[in-house]
Amino acid sequence: MPVRDLLSTSSKLSPFQPRYEHLLLLVCVLGTVLPLGVDCNPSAENHQINGTQKKSFPVLSFDYLHVRLPFEIALWILLASLMKLGFHLIPRLSNIVPESCLLIVVGLLVGGLIKVVGEAPPVLDSKVFFLCLLPPIILDAGYFLPIRAFSENTGTILMFAVIGTLWNSFFMGGMLYAVCQIPGTGLENVGLLPSLLFGSIISAVDPVAVLAVFEEIHINELLHILVFGESLLNDAVTVVLYHLFEEYAGVGSVTFMDVLLGVICFLVVSLGGVFMGILYGLIAAFTSRFTSHTRVIEPLFVFLYSYMAYLSAEVFHLSGIMALIACGVVMRPYVEANISQKSHTTIKYFLKMWSSVSETLIFIFLGVSTVAGPHQWNWIFVGCTLLFCLVSRVLGVIGLTSIINKFRIVKLTTKDQFIIAYGGLRGAIAFSLGFLLDKHHFPMRDMFLTAIITVIFFTVFVQGMTIRPLVELLAVKKKQETKRSINEEIHTQFLDHLLTGIEDVCGHYGHHHWKDKLSRFNKKYIKKCLIAGERSKEPQLIAFYHKMEMKQAIELVESGGIPKIPSAVSTVSMQNIKPKRALPQLSKGKEEEIRNILRSNLQRTRQRLRSYNRHTLMADPYEDAWNQMLIRRQKARQLEKRMTNYLTVPANHPDSPTMMRSRLSSDPQGYSLKLNSGNVPAIVVDPATPQSPESMKLQEESSKPGEEDQGIVMRAKLPESSRTDDNVFTPGEDSPKEQRLIRCLSDPGPPPEEEKDDEYQAFLN
Amino acid sequence: MFTGVYNFIYFLISLTVSHSQITRLYSRFTSLDKGENGTLCREDFQRIPELAINPLGDRIINTFFPEGEDQVNFRGFMRTLAHFRPIDDHEKNKDPNVSEPLNSRNNKLLFAFRLYDLDKDDKISRDELLQVLRMMVGVNISDDQLGSIADRTIQEADQDGDSCISFTEFIKVNFYTSP
Repeated sequence: MPVRDLLSTSSKLSPFQPRYEHLLLLVCVLGTVLPLGVDCNPSAENHQINGTQKKSFPVLSFDYLHVRLPFEIALWILLASLMKLGFHLIPRLSNIVPESCLLIVVGLLVGGLIKVVGEAPPVLDSKVFFLCLLPPIILDAGYFLPIRAFSENTGTILMFAVIGTLWNSFFMGGMLYAVCQIPGTGLENVGLLPSLLFGSIISAVDPVAVLAVFEEIHINELLHILVFGESLLNDAVTVVLYHLFEEYAGVGSVTFMDVLLGVICFLVVSLGGVFMGILYGLIAAFTSRFTSHTRVIEPLFVFLYSYMAYLSAEVFHLSGIMALIACGVVMRPYVEANISQKSHTTIKYFLKMWSSVSETLIFIFLGVSTVAGPHQWNWIFVGCTLLFCLVSRVLGVIGLTSIINKFRIVKLTTKDQFIIAYGGLRGAIAFSLGFLLDKHHFPMRDMFLTAIITVIFFTVFVQGMTIRPLVELLAVKKKQETKRSINEEIHTQFLDHLLTGIEDVCGHYGHHHWKDKLSRFNKKYIKKCLIAGERSKEPQLIAFYHKMEMKQAIELVESGGIPKIPSAVSTVSMQNIKPKRALPQLSKGKEEEIRNILRSNLQRTRQRLRSYNRHTLMADPYEDAWNQMLIRRQKARQLEKRMTNYLTVPANHPDSPTMMRSRLSSDPQGYSLKLNSGNVPAIVVDPATPQSPESMKLQEESSKPGEEDQGIVMRAKLPESSRTDDNVFTPGEDSPKEQRLIRCLSDPGPPPEEEKDDEYQAFLN
Repeated sequence: MFTGVYNFIYFLISLTVSHSQITRLYSRFTSLDKGENGTLCREDFQRIPELAINPLGDRIINTFFPEGEDQVNFRGFMRTLAHFRPIDDHEKNKDPNVSEPLNSRNNKLLFAFRLYDLDKDDKISRDELLQVLRMMVGVNISDDQLGSIADRTIQEADQDGDSCISFTEFIKVNFYTSP
């Protein structure tokens, strides 16, 4: 297939000079477009075996129709991903132009190409959009929503989402109706209700577009959560208004009763969506309690329950987006307490991957649909739409902020208001909603679509491109790239308690009071049901601390040893270890020796690899190894304090070979070394019983006084040669001269005295 | 993650010195004052149910009572609560000779700092930190674990190497901006 060839050539070309990348892009585009043109000519051969004539047996046949649909889908996704790849290869472009703009341009090009080839370009089907492309993005946003920032600004966000959207819709609809009534514009057939409907479609800020643009400008958290939260929560308003106006546009009039029903409908839609999400979230959390034996499918539960929440909400015409957000938010703390570290990583990366692909596809399809769709251009209508969009957004933000600031503690400055107003981007949701309109009821649908697309283009291109220099110009506060430290966590909790107490003294039932009540209820009842085992009683602080330690331990090992420890990690004990040892250079002879040993051992390893069993993921020995290490580390830190000369001394065998660099590999069967030569320090992890600490044996050198401090030595029990399938975890890296394993975690190890060793062993066992 | 902290600084409870607020607080004061003698003693505070289950309950109560005294009148009550007033922008242009208003940012942070620092030596030692952690975390966690958390906390914050957190280090590690 031509595509395959193109891909292989492109992968060879990419590391070469930058000029080739343009060629690569062009080639990819052509390669993916042409088969789409090809498919329309149905293959000549058919299975018309009449049985009368015997044809020769076909050795090679061409049957494209058979795989057409999956093939095209895969091709589109591939195109999207290759485009994304391409942009980041071109260095300066991604700084000036946001990705969404580039993708729309690509969509335009592809659509143009398809049209040139003679095909009808595919349009962004609303069903595909709402059921397949939108949910991953929303789930990604909801699962990783910063809860604290969101809950502190809920009032503001709701005001903007509900009242702001209502204002926008009515202002736009009303003004457009007024403009249409002006004689001479040729738009008299646009009634009030269709105008209002159009207003409601176009007024909603779009989460996809906002995410795409705001992700790249790294604005401070407050503004980000305000605009983004607004874009998520206005879905309920949009849904209600859309259905309301669509229903009654046919009838032609709306009574007061209808408006009242509309308000009730809004409450039902939003609260119902949230309730549905919470329900599914709790069920998901409960399910995750029992997954300790089937870790492989844990991420699947998260995705499936969330998607079901979305679909169930859509069944009842409730707000699917709010259901999805609620599900993600509710599910997350409990699920994360229950699932393994690997599942957590999987969920994170899958969500990011899907949402990224979805976003790319959406923008490309927007471009293609622009080329494809029937257009009806009307200067006045489109121009007025654009104008009123901007005006209404600015007025709405200013007006609402003046009201909101009376209740806010951290007031919104003019700069903030400007960014909020400027960040009101429209996107694909508006287009899809417009596309859903029935042509019979709305004869001006094409004009609407044209106007919607124009507004989308304007906001994404003009506003999207200029927001970054504006942010720089106005010196808006950027996001602080800081990792959460234990100090902050302690202090935040401390402040929460303090302020709750003060509120209680004042008799004031404010934000903190209710938050405290909720967290108490949570701790007392809910956590017991939804979190498995001992972790249900774990206080938040401890959980946070464990997570942090685990993360740093993993980072330490992956960076390969002590020399790269960031200063924040090094314990007090590290400061006392004398010279910062630079690793000595390997001599050539030693290098060769190392290579030979590695080669011979690895070859043997390959023959002994077990076949991978899909159904049982190895109970991760590394995870428990880490836990053990962490516990040991803490213990050692205390022991260290009692030591005077805690640094151990060189090993007995200076000529032993080096170990391999430690790696946190995903394949636990990787490194079963044939440990025949000397003491290769290793920690033997018995895969059969990963839970038992006895499987980890560690023997320390006894120190010889008077020797220079050389670091920590870990000696392991040598595995018998028959137990070749053991997972051998060889941490650290050391110099070849001395048999020294610098412990990869920054703790100095136990003191050299024998009795301390026993205490240590006793602790381990 | 700083919004919580900034909210504290710009304070959560918008207790402006408005007439209505003062009246409200006075009525609260009188409702708490069971002995009806115009002052509050510690038992009056301890009668507030939510304060009893608050881990920092005792410390908060102690802040209301100035050094050595057992009674606090309404003025003292208001003075402590005034720490949580919003920082008024008009106050910024005040006469620099006047001492810093109670609710300036520095003073708020000092207030929080003093809640950690029980022996009032202007440093948070490891033991003080351990006590705070123990209060917040409950009884199920072992001393060793708390100890290691305390060690790590101090080590993150400590810059001059005295194994204690001074006020400047406290501000720097929690707020990342100089006061």
